[in-house]
Amino acid sequence: MLSFNYRHATLKDVPFLVDTIIEAEKSGTNILTYSTIFGLTEYEARLYITKMFQEEIDGCELSVSSYMIAEYQGQFAASVGAWIEGYDGIPSNIIKGNLLNYILPRKCIEKAALLTSILNETHIECFQNSIQIGVVYVANEYRGMKLAGNLIDRQILRLTEINPKISDIFVQVFGNNTPAIKAYENSQFSVILINEGSNKKVQQYLPSDRKVLMKRNLKT
Amino acid sequence: MNTTEITLKLTEIFRQVFSNHLLELTNELTSNDVNGWDSLSHMLLINEIEKSFSINFKLKDLNKMKNVGALIIIIEEKLNNK
Repeated sequence: MLSFNYRHATLKDVPFLVDTIIEAEKSGTNILTYSTIFGLTEYEARLYITKMFQEEIDGCELSVSSYMIAEYQGQFAASVGAWIEGYDGIPSNIIKGNLLNYILPRKCIEKAALLTSILNETHIECFQNSIQIGVVYVANEYRGMKLAGNLIDRQILRLTEINPKISDIFVQVFGNNTPAIKAYENSQFSVILINEGSNKKVQQYLPSDRKVLMKRNLKT
Repeated sequence: MNTTEITLKLTEIFRQVFSNHLLELTNELTSNDVNGWDSLSHMLLINEIEKSFSINFKLKDLNKMKNVGALIIIIEEKLNNK
């Protein structure tokens, strides 16, 4: 059995965190939302995501402080990004929107403006003062070793130490990602909402036209 | 530009970005109160505000804005310091 080292992410881990974001955005497809929505190549997307991490803003999926990492003999194996929603009074989607506006070129923002009505339909709000599991990634060679579950447990421990009153944990998954949905169900999460876009064009821009909200209650 | 004028101009921007012509701004309004206020629409909102008022926000300013009232105060400060 392999022995993994679990730790908090630092700025030095940003290249791996960028991989994490890219793979999570693709959700097992070839559709990279930074390309379809903002017109960026994957190379450009990596550069801008790196810059957003380097701003060191807390409270969203583009925050280094949100991540814990599993590594094996110095090699990155898995990472999970999680935070307390609205901990400083500002929702994670606002923090992310601020970063996107601040870092992305104007032409990218203007391209995205044409798509908001299509993309809005699958949006699911986050619940204030709950734990959000925002991003999960396990490198191919380390799959099936329960790394995601172990990292999620460590994130829950970390975040409930910050706020012991938290009882709910939420995760949003694209509807096409059946393995992830099953894995969360095995970790005591239940599906509580499915948002489906009525405009099928959304499939050109997102990995799926369905978003699934799953919840786990820590007190039950 | 005074607070009322800023609020009027902001109202037009909000109504356009969120495609809601009945949207009324209050100082207490937050993203939780407006349908469709996600990361993408927030990015567009801030971009439109910067263009319309010919200002540029600093990231630390943006991350202090807990509601529309705070946004109006920061716009006022930016315009007064031009």
